[in-house]
Amino acid sequence: MLLSSAILEARSARVILSDLILAEEETQAALLEELAESGDQVIAEIYEAWRSGGVYTLSDDSGTRLLLFNEAQEWTLVATGEVVSLSEAEASAVEKERASRAVRKLMKSIVDTLGLKSVDERVRIDAALKLGLSQKPEYIEPLKARLETEPSKNVLKSIREALAISLLVNGEGDEVFGAVKELTSMKSIAARGFLEKLIRAEEKAGRLGSEVVAASSNALLVIEEHINMLEFFGSFFRGFSTGSVLLIVSFGLAITFGLMGIINMAHGEFVAIGGYVTFMVQTFFINTWGLSSSAFGWYFVVSLPLSFLVAAGIGLLLEKSIIRFLYRRPLESLLCTWGISMIMQQCFRLIFGAANVQVNNPTWLMGSLNFGGFNMSYTRLFIMFIALVVVIMTWLLLRKTNLGLHIRAVMQNRGMASSLGIPVARVNSMTFALGCGLAALGGSVLSQIGNVGPLMGQAYIVDSFMVVVIGSVGNLLGAGLSAMGIGLVDQLLQPSLGPVMGKITVFFVIILFLQWRPGGLFPSRSRSLDD
Amino acid sequence: MTTAHHHDPLYKDTPLILSVSGVNKAFDGFKAINDLNFYLEEGELRTIIGPNGAGKSTFMDIITGRTVPDSGTVTFHGKDGHDINLAKMREFEINRLGIGRKFQTPSVYKSHTVYDNLVLSLNHARGVFKTLFYRESAEDKERIMEVLKTIRLEARVNDLAGMLSHGQKQWLEIGMLLAQDPSILLIDEPAAGMSDEETERTGELLLSLEKKHSLIVIEHDMEFIRQIARKVTVLHQGHVLKEGTFDKVKSDPGVIEVYLGRQGKKSETN
Amino acid sequence: MLSTENKKEIGIFCIVTGLLMLIPMLNAWGPETGTLAVSSFQVSLWGKYLTYAILAMSLNLLWGYTGLLCLCQSLFFALGAYMMGMYLMLMIGDRGAYGSMLPDFMVFLGYQDLPIHWKPFYSFWFTAGAVMWVPGLVALIFGFLAFRSRIKGVYFSILTQALTYACCLLFFRNDFTFGGNNGFTDFKDILGHSLNDPSTTRWLYISSVLLLLATYLITSGLLASKFGKVQQAIRDSENRVLFSGYSTTSFKLVIFGLSAMIAGAAGALYVPQVGGINPSAMEAAKSLEVVVWVAVGGRGTKWGPVIGAILVNLLKSFTTQAFPDYWLIIMGGLFVFVVLMMPDGIVGVYKQAKNKIAQKRSLQTEATV
Repeated sequence: MLLSSAILEARSARVILSDLILAEEETQAALLEELAESGDQVIAEIYEAWRSGGVYTLSDDSGTRLLLFNEAQEWTLVATGEVVSLSEAEASAVEKERASRAVRKLMKSIVDTLGLKSVDERVRIDAALKLGLSQKPEYIEPLKARLETEPSKNVLKSIREALAISLLVNGEGDEVFGAVKELTSMKSIAARGFLEKLIRAEEKAGRLGSEVVAASSNALLVIEEHINMLEFFGSFFRGFSTGSVLLIVSFGLAITFGLMGIINMAHGEFVAIGGYVTFMVQTFFINTWGLSSSAFGWYFVVSLPLSFLVAAGIGLLLEKSIIRFLYRRPLESLLCTWGISMIMQQCFRLIFGAANVQVNNPTWLMGSLNFGGFNMSYTRLFIMFIALVVVIMTWLLLRKTNLGLHIRAVMQNRGMASSLGIPVARVNSMTFALGCGLAALGGSVLSQIGNVGPLMGQAYIVDSFMVVVIGSVGNLLGAGLSAMGIGLVDQLLQPSLGPVMGKITVFFVIILFLQWRPGGLFPSRSRSLDD
Repeated sequence: MTTAHHHDPLYKDTPLILSVSGVNKAFDGFKAINDLNFYLEEGELRTIIGPNGAGKSTFMDIITGRTVPDSGTVTFHGKDGHDINLAKMREFEINRLGIGRKFQTPSVYKSHTVYDNLVLSLNHARGVFKTLFYRESAEDKERIMEVLKTIRLEARVNDLAGMLSHGQKQWLEIGMLLAQDPSILLIDEPAAGMSDEETERTGELLLSLEKKHSLIVIEHDMEFIRQIARKVTVLHQGHVLKEGTFDKVKSDPGVIEVYLGRQGKKSETN
Repeated sequence: MLSTENKKEIGIFCIVTGLLMLIPMLNAWGPETGTLAVSSFQVSLWGKYLTYAILAMSLNLLWGYTGLLCLCQSLFFALGAYMMGMYLMLMIGDRGAYGSMLPDFMVFLGYQDLPIHWKPFYSFWFTAGAVMWVPGLVALIFGFLAFRSRIKGVYFSILTQALTYACCLLFFRNDFTFGGNNGFTDFKDILGHSLNDPSTTRWLYISSVLLLLATYLITSGLLASKFGKVQQAIRDSENRVLFSGYSTTSFKLVIFGLSAMIAGAAGALYVPQVGGINPSAMEAAKSLEVVVWVAVGGRGTKWGPVIGAILVNLLKSFTTQAFPDYWLIIMGGLFVFVVLMMPDGIVGVYKQAKNKIAQKRSLQTEATV
């Protein structure tokens, strides 16, 4: 219902505007009033063109047509939005239309408050705040008017915030005091600067001890506290999402390391494979359906399992050809896989170029969830969700499937497992493939918050190794906890220390942690002496 | 502590060399060693038996400093009459007191010759600078040749230890222990992986060490135990279940239950 | 009395010394053109290779003989290089781009005075000490923490790599007073001699040869002593050593510190011959490159690391010019190949071949008899 009425409105806005531009001055006022009721963004667009001389009329036998010359070098009919082609003769016959000063002034306030009437809630919120922050008295009326008709609670809150901010300057007597009170109860971050300004203005006017000043100072304190809390929660939230990425990446590492004693230095390159597969799937979707099509949003859903499968396949090949010679020789495996990582990196450069490639967020991951003034981006929430899925799936795989049983058996005692008829070689291959697949899944997720390039995995590999060392080798619970721990410590330190010193501090914290617990969080006890 | 005194023999009158009293050790909640009391006399050969998981290896780990006990005392009674608490000392310091240990799986220096393996086991010149300026003395050489003779590896003196057979490696490790000339030898399953003849010879060797050294031997092989056993300690769930002569222990109903009970269960599941 | 083994070793030592000294001699007295001509550029280039060879030898002490795969060797090298770089920066004096007594990057970053920790580096002899004790101290502190908590095997490797990573980040920072991204460059002279002077180039080269020979002698000396035997015993069975009454922590610390000092000294000779140092020299990948050199030449052999370092770097120079896109692939492939197919490197292959020939010969003689 809402959608169809919006389309009707949009069309009528075009028609009204078209009439308005062609109308004589005396009828324009009525049309302007009519236009003011509409909340269509197209008004702003056409008005901007009109103001800057991009609107033309073409008079011919069929009457006067109103045309818009837009940026794409195309002629569009203002009334319908249709693209038309003009002959050369027609093109030279067009005349420029100019808006009169009076109309321009009236139009401006319509255009400015346009956002308040938008169908999109977020646009309305932004518009209200923008009007409020400008503190221009002429916007008080439209804001108050909207207060009556606005159906959404969230928007109402923003409008009230905007009004209060505006009233700090434009209000009279008790209105100012009321506005300060209102902003205090809202803990309005946007109002901070304006409250400070208000205090300075009051001081200048010699009313240092006034009620308003006291209330404003109090408001500032309340808001400051609120900001600190938000920042703290923000660090926490970022910590959890960083930890989630680390978790996905290091789970694979923990499995290969714990099971086969393989230190996979090429793990970072498998992360990059995930990123590149996502990029290729995206390119395929753009080429097939176009960037703005609704199908495009699905590309990420497709690329997640696909990157897992591609990397798992490559991992399987690698295991069969090279890795299987390196079991239980961790140092050699470290060196050998490092060689492989260099080859893979250079291959990425040769295929995709040395520069980072662009991966876009699907629309459904844009924006953020607001929770008591605290924003959580959908991308990061999604990453946490994927991490949770990975944890659950891995747990199910290890605990509830036959392969999982085999994996655990081989982890505990390779020789015994083998003599009990467990196909150790196959279990190894599958596990290595699983580890690589998980890395790529991490890469695919990372493409949404970071760069995709030949070196993208390198940034995570050192951290992931730390995660595995801290969490004790082969212990997934440990890996999960230490990933979250490292993510949190990293993000909590960053605001005060900066990213570089934060990272360095985390490293020293890890070294000190190992002084206390040399075997990591969950050390395994083994009987043999030299291991 | 109080329980420890309860078991305490009047050790000031008897020539004890090692007292372990009231020792506890738990790993992640699992009690590997549970109020363990153990006393070893000078020159004694003691055999420790017990089912798997009874805490035998952990017991040795605690004596040699590889594992730090949660509570209790481990005391080495030195020849000069001083008592030394081992619980907080590091492995190499404990070893330097004269407590040597042989591990279950033979661990020798594969890329050194048999001779060098023994040189490295001599009980002097073990500091960083002392090793830098160490010169082999005639005395050392003699000592090494003597050990070589005891472990019957004279013919392979210049071979790399990695080339030896499994049994020979076990012997070499025992030899490395002898080269240290320790007061106490802790030997974990010396006969594992040996042929019958080698086992027999190992038994003879251990018996010949008695009196000169104090020995603690962990073993599973009942034949072998019968050969060497003097006093036997049975460990069960980290605690001393029974102590006495082999025959006495063998016929003890409690011990039989621990062994046969498990055996019985095992045969059911099989 | 010298055994034949020892005689052979002395022989090889003399031949290597002679060959290495040929380069500066040809540069000084040789012809200006032709196959025997050696330009000053080539002297510096070979000087650089020699510092790499020393670096490889220092890693070999740790990895080859003690079994500690250290992935922060390039950090020690770079630390030594930075210490020497500080001295060389100060020796520029007011001949820099800004005409100030302060190094250019400090003027650029708005420093008024020389930071206090730079001041001692006006003295060459202080610098000569610092290039060794600074990396040595870092190694001792880190090693103490690592060895004390029984970190070994791959864990040691991973942590040393993380240490390199952390330090690399630190040196990339502008406010760390070491020139940030660009590091140090534009050196003018050392001990009053211009770095452009061919004789300075030759002396730097000869110093590198001397350091290489000294490192060789230190390695041999250690290996011949009981210390060296303990070192190798730690590699084979660390617990056995521990339970034989040796404090393995002390032994590992000493060898780690020594190796860091040698690497630092090599780095100090690298800087004036190459003409600059920046934080990319301590990237984690650089340390792994050193591991490749040692692996290719043969770990746990006396000359293997030298052979490996020189051959791999010659190959690198050639490939990066001829097929720049494929260098990393070749290098990576080389690594995989060496680890899988020739775990004892070139020296190992040579020894194997020699043994085979000897066996064949003895078989033949037996047959004829």
